[in-house]
Amino acid sequence: MPRYRYPSIPESEVTPKRLFEKRRRFLRQGVALGAASILPSGLLMPTKAEAWADEFKIQLKENMTRKDFAGDEGITDYGDATSYNNFYEFGTRKSDPEVYAHKLPTDPWSVRVEGEFNLTGDIAFEDILQRYSLEERIYRLRCVEAWSMVIPWIGFPLRELIKHHDPTSKAKYIEFEAIHDPEKLRGQQRSIIEWPYREALRMDEAMHPLTMIAVGMYGEKMPNQNGAPMRLVVPWKYGFKSIKSVTVIRALEQKPKTSWEEQNPEEYGFFANVNPNVDHPRWSQARERRIGEPGRRETLMFNGYAEEVAHLYEGMDLQRHH
Amino acid sequence: MIDTKAKILLFRFLVLLSGVVPALWLGWMWLSDSMGANPAETAVHFTGRTGLILLLVTIAFSPAFRLSGWVGIMIARRQMGLWAFFWLTAHMLTWMGWDQYWEWRWIWHDMWELEYIRYGLSGLLLLIPLALTSFRWAPEKMGWSAWHWLHRLIYVAAGLGVYHLWVLTRVDYLLPTAFAIVFLALVVFRVVDAILHRQ
Repeated sequence: MPRYRYPSIPESEVTPKRLFEKRRRFLRQGVALGAASILPSGLLMPTKAEAWADEFKIQLKENMTRKDFAGDEGITDYGDATSYNNFYEFGTRKSDPEVYAHKLPTDPWSVRVEGEFNLTGDIAFEDILQRYSLEERIYRLRCVEAWSMVIPWIGFPLRELIKHHDPTSKAKYIEFEAIHDPEKLRGQQRSIIEWPYREALRMDEAMHPLTMIAVGMYGEKMPNQNGAPMRLVVPWKYGFKSIKSVTVIRALEQKPKTSWEEQNPEEYGFFANVNPNVDHPRWSQARERRIGEPGRRETLMFNGYAEEVAHLYEGMDLQRHH
Repeated sequence: MIDTKAKILLFRFLVLLSGVVPALWLGWMWLSDSMGANPAETAVHFTGRTGLILLLVTIAFSPAFRLSGWVGIMIARRQMGLWAFFWLTAHMLTWMGWDQYWEWRWIWHDMWELEYIRYGLSGLLLLIPLALTSFRWAPEKMGWSAWHWLHRLIYVAAGLGVYHLWVLTRVDYLLPTAFAIVFLALVVFRVVDAILHRQ
């Protein structure tokens, strides 16, 4: 099998050819823009989407730091990470998102920040990109279905956004809602779970420095099938907690019901922390298949982030609060 | 005009194809690198679905014969059953070897701990005596009546197979529902047929 890929040079150290060429194009556009300022306006203006894609790239090139939180385990093949996805908005097969995600309407995109925040309102995605400085973080991603990947995400800590919007003293939970557009998202025409997809974190989990909002991966803006334009990434929890294509961020006093909790509370708990000792009722969570590797690995407590996050759950019965 | 013998030969060839073509298809997927990001899972699902479909087709030969009365169906039934057994055995071996990587400690663990593995494996175990007594002389040696009773185990095995699929399914029950409907329809036909013929 042509698997086992351990890049000798970290992938982000090398500028992908595509990115290099886009960067050139951006420079040319800059020249064009300069010309445009003295020419009739609107003639050579880049579209909004191109503008934020370029903003994204500037950040990528100039400010980015890379942190490896996966212990040098080898990054999952990009093709695998973009063709094997659970994104039920596009269908329940792993291959559906890659096939149908081009219909995801990502431009324009805004996020409604509401609830127990002092600063609420609709925020354009471009403004989010400009407000927070992006960094690259390599995290393990463990699906509740017992497979896993290692993904180099690009994004910023969620805590930065929460702090910016200044939660009130009542804010105990952060709830997220994903895009709801049954006309464009074929999976939402069937009510296998209650749409829109909803997820939530306890405030201390949301404020944890590992919790991030990702806007890209593998040095590129987020592919549609992976949750463009922005998604949550909580590396010590099963993948379904890391909600894709977020449209609402809401601070709440009471614990909300998440989509999966509503669907089947026995099988998908609110916390959903990766835990090899608590099996899913129908299958074992002790091991996982690392995509691209033969055989199986033993699953790590909190997906290998126990040192960072175990204190959040001190004194809790993890069997009951699974 | 094709005579009966040629028709039977042709039908047996079609049954042969239904057992062999999935293998060619799987081989093609492997060679063209289109097994996807999780080839072990793809192979396990493919062999399992093929086996279960062929098992239900084998059962469907009986009503097909009742309705059409054509003897060729009964002649090819044994072959179809053996193909189903072949694919379901391949399913188990793919799970053990490719998916579990022959890690016996874990195979053993899953066999005892996981409900769906138990159902699947017991279904396959039930098919072993059927495969062993599928030789031409077997019914005569053991008596036709006993042979018929033994081979009704195919219904139990298929039921376990469908339930195995049902239990391991996550959220989207379209496929297992389709299998369950076909299976139940076959059972109902068998029961009704038995009642009518006893009268």
